[in-house]
Amino acid sequence: MEKQNKRISLSEAAALVKDGSTLSFSGFTIWRRPMALVFELIRQKRRHLHLLEVNGGPQTEFLVGAGCVDIWESCWVGHELYGKYGANLSRKVGNKEMIVEDYSHAEMTFRFAAAAAGMPFAACQSAMGTDIHNPEYDMLGRAGRRDGSDPRISRSKYQFMDDPFYGGGQYSLVPAAKVDVAVLSVQQVGEEGTVRVRGQYYTDPEVARAADLTIAIAEEIVPEEYLRRESDRNTIASFEVDYIVECPWNAHPTGMFGAYDVDGDFLRDFYQKTRTQEGFDAFAEEWIYGHDHLSYLEKLGFERTLRLKANTALNFSTNVKRGQ
Amino acid sequence: MTSLHDYAAPEDYNLADLMTCAASREVNDNEIVFAGTGMPMVAIMLAQKTHAPNLKLIFEAGTLDGRPPELPTSVGDARCEMGASRSSGLYDAFAIAQRGYVDLGFLGGAEVDEYGNVNTTVIGDYLNPELRLTGSGGNPDINSFASRTVFIMVHEKRRFTPNVSYITSPGWRVKKWPSGEWVHRRELYGAAFRGGPSAVISTAGVFRFDEESGRIYLDTCHPGKTPEEIRDLCHFELDISRVSGDTLPPTRHELHLIHDVLDPEQIFIPKVKK
Repeated sequence: MEKQNKRISLSEAAALVKDGSTLSFSGFTIWRRPMALVFELIRQKRRHLHLLEVNGGPQTEFLVGAGCVDIWESCWVGHELYGKYGANLSRKVGNKEMIVEDYSHAEMTFRFAAAAAGMPFAACQSAMGTDIHNPEYDMLGRAGRRDGSDPRISRSKYQFMDDPFYGGGQYSLVPAAKVDVAVLSVQQVGEEGTVRVRGQYYTDPEVARAADLTIAIAEEIVPEEYLRRESDRNTIASFEVDYIVECPWNAHPTGMFGAYDVDGDFLRDFYQKTRTQEGFDAFAEEWIYGHDHLSYLEKLGFERTLRLKANTALNFSTNVKRGQ
Repeated sequence: MTSLHDYAAPEDYNLADLMTCAASREVNDNEIVFAGTGMPMVAIMLAQKTHAPNLKLIFEAGTLDGRPPELPTSVGDARCEMGASRSSGLYDAFAIAQRGYVDLGFLGGAEVDEYGNVNTTVIGDYLNPELRLTGSGGNPDINSFASRTVFIMVHEKRRFTPNVSYITSPGWRVKKWPSGEWVHRRELYGAAFRGGPSAVISTAGVFRFDEESGRIYLDTCHPGKTPEEIRDLCHFELDISRVSGDTLPPTRHELHLIHDVLDPEQIFIPKVKK
């Protein structure tokens, strides 16, 4: 019997995300986001996505700006020091063009950990007494979406209960983050799907395991045998990953530990130019539509990519000007 | 003879220096501190290099006991893990915090009320927002889990308000759901109660909280400001009866560490323009 071939192209990977899919990503704010796949989803005009994210970032802003997203459940969106908040999400939620459901960061983390362990919910003690727990602000509930008809939307946003075992006071129960597809952006994946993340692995292990279908987009596909020589350094097991894509620079403009830095100029430019829908459309016309990943990289050019390229001893670039 | 431990002259430091040093002095040695991006990172690393050499630093993205040789630009930065005890992920960072390891967290906010409830989510009505901000991030988590929380904020009258637009992060008096009645934080958190906001460092002064009443009061005024001026910069009734003096200026040694060692690129802390 021949071994299963998990390798697919970027556009094939994007086609696995259907209209209406519940979707999540690897990474943290402006680090290791599968941007090349996000741009491909925008080119393929994916609609009605339900994003469940531990935290948002440029990937959220691009998908929201392009009109791909109906629901965003998360806790934060912005571009760190390159853009104060998510201007596209802010505009769309102001216009009531999408639903935003707020949880806290730890709650989102524990929601994914619960889903990753096959549990229906997690119990936690965070954010108690805040408006995050205000029942008036259950936005999916207000929209009538908690009737059980969508298997990805829990029947309530929170439940509260007293610790039944140790008398430890009130806990909030948060629903497991059940997702259709997780897309990871990582440094290395083996031919059979073993993932080795370098640097902080954020919530990648939980997100990969929570999803029904997991796609790993890697800077390079390497021989499985190479990764299995030191299996203690690997992050996600082969069978947790369904498809693999080789795509260097796939996280740009976000950063990739050991490979390239965050492109702060790009993010600042994006943030400043996409306050309006017209601004977003023009930006997408320039950088996304009519491009594929190769022509995107050609447009970026050598000067920019070489500047961002990480020093392999330090894992960050020594050529990026930081600060004033 | 001048010493590096002398306080700097007013023309040799700016507000960012003063606030960074005030924040740094909130840290005690041997504490486990949760650091967010920006000025808090500089403040904590400053404490690490001065009076708190044994503090342990946690970055939300997964770095445990970090000792970055160079200032990270965000907690996801590749610089975070270099020199750390362990590089992991958010599940570890938040589980450790909920477990009760964290003594102190530094956070920011767009609005604060007199009980230390902080908003980072929205300006205006949540259901009809004027401006949607970043959202909570880890602000309520760190604030719920840590024994003490210090907020660093820009001081504008509209930001110091009796009613924040949205309670993102819990203060000393909070809402008990589902009814929404106001209760002391201790009552709601029960066995999980560890403390709450201990200080707000604004661009005008340093504020603290009376744990029993939960109310904010002015502790120190930044040099050049009077208690009355600061009271007029708050929409709520500010208690100025407990002012202990002026906020202590940076020492020359602290300024050297901030500008020559920690943030020479002026990523977060600009230098005095001369």
